[in-house]
Amino acid sequence: MTAMAVDRLAAATPAGDRSGLGRITVAALLVLLLVAMVVSMTTGASGASTWGIIGGWFGHGPASEQLAARDHAVIYNIRLPRMILGVLIGAALAVSGLLMQGLFRNPLADPGLVGVSAGAGLGAVSIIVLGTTALAPLTAFLGIYALQLAAFGGGLVTTFILYRVATRSGQTAIATMLLAGIALGALAGAVTGVMVYIATDSQLRDLTFWGLGSLSGANWTKIMASGPIIVLALFVSAFLAKGLNALTLGEATAGHLGISVQRFKRVVIVAVAAATGASVAVSGGIGFVGIVVPHLLRLVIGPDHRYLLPATALLGAAFLLLADAVSRVVVAPAELPIGIVTAAVGGPFFLWILLRKRAAFAW
Amino acid sequence: MISVSNISVDIGSRRILEDISFTARPGQVTVVIGPNGSGKSTLLKALCRDNPFSGTIAINGHDVGGMSPAMAATMRAVLPQSSTLPFPFTVREVVAMGLTAGRPGIAPDALRRLPDEALARVDLSGFGARFYGELSGGEQQRVQLARVICQVWQPVLDDVPRYLFLDEPVSSLDIKHQLMIMDVARRFADAGGGVVAILHDLNLAAMYADTIVALRDGRVAGMGTPATVLRDELIASVFDCPMRVGALPPRSVPFVLPQSVQRPDALSLSSKVA
Repeated sequence: MTAMAVDRLAAATPAGDRSGLGRITVAALLVLLLVAMVVSMTTGASGASTWGIIGGWFGHGPASEQLAARDHAVIYNIRLPRMILGVLIGAALAVSGLLMQGLFRNPLADPGLVGVSAGAGLGAVSIIVLGTTALAPLTAFLGIYALQLAAFGGGLVTTFILYRVATRSGQTAIATMLLAGIALGALAGAVTGVMVYIATDSQLRDLTFWGLGSLSGANWTKIMASGPIIVLALFVSAFLAKGLNALTLGEATAGHLGISVQRFKRVVIVAVAAATGASVAVSGGIGFVGIVVPHLLRLVIGPDHRYLLPATALLGAAFLLLADAVSRVVVAPAELPIGIVTAAVGGPFFLWILLRKRAAFAW
Repeated sequence: MISVSNISVDIGSRRILEDISFTARPGQVTVVIGPNGSGKSTLLKALCRDNPFSGTIAINGHDVGGMSPAMAATMRAVLPQSSTLPFPFTVREVVAMGLTAGRPGIAPDALRRLPDEALARVDLSGFGARFYGELSGGEQQRVQLARVICQVWQPVLDDVPRYLFLDEPVSSLDIKHQLMIMDVARRFADAGGGVVAILHDLNLAAMYADTIVALRDGRVAGMGTPATVLRDELIASVFDCPMRVGALPPRSVPFVLPQSVQRPDALSLSSKVA
């Protein structure tokens, strides 16, 4: 029966049209994300049971009132914000990778690889170290958004410089882009090193905590600070699908197809910097999500951004939640920084992409 | 109608085009010829507003300088010389990109079939599911043409003619597909649209052009019907290469024979036959 349904779908779909597959995949990923959200809520060092809390609403809660209060605190103050932050950051990292790959017309572009995350990190570190001295007026003015906006600014400047250096008349040279990214990353790293050098002891604690690449510090304040920026960036990127498709044909052709290319590129750069900056500000450097997730999905549903964009956001969120669950379980009761988990998956995957280089498409 | 008036283009300190004026009329195929570096592609880029230029270019009375990309996309479609794609799109997905902002001018329910019809026109039926990157250069060129004709499927929309700009559309095609693609252009013009094409093959230009614009060193060296432009002295001076234009009595279509000059023995042979 299923086979018949698939046959009928194939007969109704013109050859080479993968939009049906795209829709099915987006729906399946929505289910996967819901599963990952449940896993995230029910995994952790404490024995707190989300089901117990939910059961409690219906009068079947834990026997002891005291236990219920503790579980309640764990669920609402630790796991729920951590789960929400994981969804936001996973989606933001994956989509900013996808946007960057579309902008540079290159499947290897990623904010983490080409120095944008390092630039955003420099912005964040500057606020942590200089926030009470040299940058005090700025910090006071920006309030809880200071860290996020500084990271956004750092990411924006880096993306802009990278684009100017690596792109000549609409063509991006991959070698130039990667090398320029390494140079910019090293430069940002050097200045970050200076910041660490002049940091006080208590600032060093903050820096270490922040730099681990972790969701462990998740709380409602961080969600209030980064959430709106990420949601806005994701909302804007939802309207970029057709333009990103057209841009794969080259800037001139995208223009001939009716896209205002210069304006479009500016929007993409700002969206990448906003999503990367807001993520880096609260979670430090979590690498490879932006490479692994879009690439895997391109293999399944193809590169049409109308389906690739929502699918990337959903899978990015689910991937980060599951990686976070792994990081909480493998060395329990301690935690592995999540950046280690994503790098352990992403590093080999990246090498595999490079080995497949001579397959169906040429770069 | 496309009116080009007094166009000049400078790139760096070099003047690429100098005071070019011509008109390309709907219902006609206008072919631009000229040697390498004569400014043909620069002229096409100016028509698309990809290059800054001085002078004015108007499409159907609208100045291209004040036209948004989206509006221009409804008036003309542009075939580039070659396109590589960084991601593994299928042929059909590439053709469907022609529908990005263009107005094909057909009913929404027919729109879904349009990429397949466009592929049939360029003799690529059944190629929809293939990956673009796996095709030969000539096949890729025809896929791009299918994408381009999707964008302006109806040559006339709301009583306004539309245009195809083709930059060397047959450069990597075999002879059968050269003729087929030029027939697509010819039919587009016969249906009321306009075509501006850059061609290197002077015989194709003679066969298909209503008007030929010959460029040399960034200037118009000759303009008119094939019979007026394809003359021995003009062609030889434009291309800086001795050539002789012949014509066969039955159809009186001019044809160009570089070999008749460069190989004197061949010339004497053909004159004996004649």
